[in-house]
Amino acid sequence: MNDPSPHPLDPAGDKNLNAEPASNKKPKLKRSRLIKLLRPALGVVVLLYILFRLYQVLIVQHEYGADTWTRLLISGLIIGGVYALIAIGYTLVYGILFMINFAHGEVMMFGAYAALYSFWAFKLIKMPGDINFLNAYPVIAIILAFIIGMSVSATLGYFLEKIAYRPLRKAPRLVPLISAIGASIFLQNAAMLLFSPQMRDVSNPDILRRGAGWTISVSGSNVILPYTGVFTFVLSVILLIMLYMIVQRSKLGRAMRAVALDKKTAALMGVDVDSTISRTFIISGALAGAAGVMWGLHNGLVYYFVGFIPGIKAFTAAVLGGIGNLPGAMVGGMLLGIVESMGPAALGINFQLKDVLSFVILIIVLTFRPSGLLGEVLSEEKV
Amino acid sequence: MKTTIRQSIRTGVTFGIVHIFFILIAFNSMIAVMLAKISGIKNPGEIPEAKFYIAYTLLMGLWVGIAALNKKKSLSFGTKILSSFSTGLTVAVLAGLLDVILSVILVKKVFIRDFLSVLSFDFIKATLLGMTPVNGTLATMAFILIGALAGSCLVILNNLKAVQAFWKTLGTWTKNIIGKIQYASRGKYHLIWQLVGIVIVGFIAVFLPTKWGSYWNYVFGMVGLYVILGLGLNIIVGLSGQLVLGYIAFFAIGAYTMALLNAPEPHHLLWGFWPALVLGIILSALSGLLLGLPIMRLRGDYLAIVTLGFGEIIRILLKSDVLTSFTGGPRGIQNIQGPMLFGRPFNSEVDFVYLIIAGVILASFVYNRLQQSRTGRAWLAIREDETVARATGVDTIKYKLLALAIGAAFAGLAGAIYASRNQFTGPDEHALMASINVLSLIIVGGMGNIPGTILGAFTLKGLPEILREFANYRLLAFGALLVVMMLSRPDGLIPSSRPKYELPKETAPDVEKKEASHGK
Repeated sequence: MNDPSPHPLDPAGDKNLNAEPASNKKPKLKRSRLIKLLRPALGVVVLLYILFRLYQVLIVQHEYGADTWTRLLISGLIIGGVYALIAIGYTLVYGILFMINFAHGEVMMFGAYAALYSFWAFKLIKMPGDINFLNAYPVIAIILAFIIGMSVSATLGYFLEKIAYRPLRKAPRLVPLISAIGASIFLQNAAMLLFSPQMRDVSNPDILRRGAGWTISVSGSNVILPYTGVFTFVLSVILLIMLYMIVQRSKLGRAMRAVALDKKTAALMGVDVDSTISRTFIISGALAGAAGVMWGLHNGLVYYFVGFIPGIKAFTAAVLGGIGNLPGAMVGGMLLGIVESMGPAALGINFQLKDVLSFVILIIVLTFRPSGLLGEVLSEEKV
Repeated sequence: MKTTIRQSIRTGVTFGIVHIFFILIAFNSMIAVMLAKISGIKNPGEIPEAKFYIAYTLLMGLWVGIAALNKKKSLSFGTKILSSFSTGLTVAVLAGLLDVILSVILVKKVFIRDFLSVLSFDFIKATLLGMTPVNGTLATMAFILIGALAGSCLVILNNLKAVQAFWKTLGTWTKNIIGKIQYASRGKYHLIWQLVGIVIVGFIAVFLPTKWGSYWNYVFGMVGLYVILGLGLNIIVGLSGQLVLGYIAFFAIGAYTMALLNAPEPHHLLWGFWPALVLGIILSALSGLLLGLPIMRLRGDYLAIVTLGFGEIIRILLKSDVLTSFTGGPRGIQNIQGPMLFGRPFNSEVDFVYLIIAGVILASFVYNRLQQSRTGRAWLAIREDETVARATGVDTIKYKLLALAIGAAFAGLAGAIYASRNQFTGPDEHALMASINVLSLIIVGGMGNIPGTILGAFTLKGLPEILREFANYRLLAFGALLVVMMLSRPDGLIPSSRPKYELPKETAPDVEKKEASHGK
């Protein structure tokens, strides 16, 4: 700021710069070159360290066999599917409104509670022959639980947008964020007061018992492929494909993409912007609700804080893949899940540090690709 | 007419849901307990007498009635009554439905507490106003309806010309008094008035801490620390426009520097307070620089999530087993030694309140000078438009890094004092929620100015302490308040007056001149 630098569009100034590198220009050039060099250097150091640790753990120490790696990969894929589903919600909303829907994790939490209560209620319904509804018709019960969970979360998402975000659409960027944070705190505490702070176990139907699964043999030892895990993974992939089809093929998807590009022009072309945004929140809420039900089926524990950590992780995943980009959120979610479960073992660090690892990966990726793995370079106005 | 009734019914449905929600979180019990305490009963217990529940139901109805006529001034008297009646009736019907369900639960002895934790049989009996189920349901509906009608009568009375005139006169008087004070503080006696103000504030700051007792000193100190934090974050978010969500990490670095250098465990260094304070500030600033260097190309929400990640990294590292021998692990660090000044140890809350006040004054001074300097204007330029700022010759990377480092230094100061005052610091004090609290306070108060930050700190850190009575409902109310606040005053309680200078009416040199004169 101190040196009278030439105007970038001024040809004379440009020539000046080429002809005689003025003495006051020199330090600036040097520093920028230094910063440019710094990043590749950092990248090389990080890469070398990772290779070194991998060499140490995999070849020198040889701590884990193939069976352990399979187990870790399975759990990573499962949790990655859940993250991807939640991350899609963040990315959809961000793509259209450019706001972080901080309360999205809580929307998922209410889905998990809906699953908890509906399974509970199904268990109380007695059927003829000394068997309850949950185990008599498990498939119907699971489908019903998903319908209930997804509709609870979708309704919540709809009202969240209507009450807390819609009036703030023209406000400065930080204002809706604070409103979302407030909504998140409110929903958490409402759940705590309504359903009590204690942790609860979801009672799965017998065909999807937690812990049970197919046994496969990897290098001599048995690895359990849990039913709930396979179910969760397959269902999340199906939901992701469905969502992608909706966004790419349907009329609503076209409207959503148009609104994401330019609200005013979309409105001029006859797109109902308000209802499109509402529907986006409904879709993202439904996906979060499905994720919540899956969380309940697979992890089992449901309590009022259950949405917070997955919410933060899924947001990280969305950013990792490039926020506003649908395939990016899916890739980011899967990647984060796998890194989280396999990373600590592969690098030989304490498992308590798995979250550190995922955030470090995020920082490294963003250092080299500031708009995420698959993200397009957003225009100034969007950022 | 038809639309009015439809609107009233819609309002009624909303309030009916609110009523059901309040019952399901036992909010009526809490209000009943408060009413009982107000009326002089010492120990009302968790579920007081039925008459307080009746009072709660009436109050709820009153609120419904007042809200039903909100923004409906132009209607005729009959329509107003009809509108409030239909709203009240809708709420009453919904409340009646809830009561019927509750009655069934009570009569059939369904043990529902596993599902909804507050619904004990005693609570249901009290919610049914201590009567038989049928009578209780009907009475609840009646009371809500009566309350709603009374509320609408209040609104109608309030809208009478005489009453409106009364409010208007009262408003004019207050305005006149405030105007006179403002005139006095601007006129030729303004120096005297400022002196009087300083003396009053100084008097409060010097004498109140000795009188208040330790609890209020604790609260006051907490608010002071959050003012420092808020000012620091204001430099980063409010002035230079970078959204940082992991701000509390810098606070943690300050606190842990103080703790590690001044506690008998785990290192037994005992450097004393002041060197540790300086080192804590320096280390925080350095960590701000180090975090900033690789991520300066990021903007907006990417920066937010990366800094959020940084905050979590610091917290998890402090908590993990890996560093237990170095930082005390999840148990934290205890018995941190307090400061010594002129040979006298700080041993009471009062001393620390003075220290914190000194810190707040220092932070405000630095903030004020920075804001009005060349650096501050560079920050504003970056905040408004980074590309344009760079095109006009502002070294954006340098100034952004500077903002991050200085903001972090403020947090280091607050953290060091905090650890020393509590004689303890642990990893869970530095969770994400704390960062969010600081961000909320500067936005609620009004971004980018000192009075706003102070007011925000009082609202967000002081109010929850005052609301201790509400116990579990505190955070619920806090969340709702944040949303309502953003909906009603998006610019914060005290909006910054800066944007005035951004109007493109004047030519650029004039703007420069104005800003320069503003600094004087």
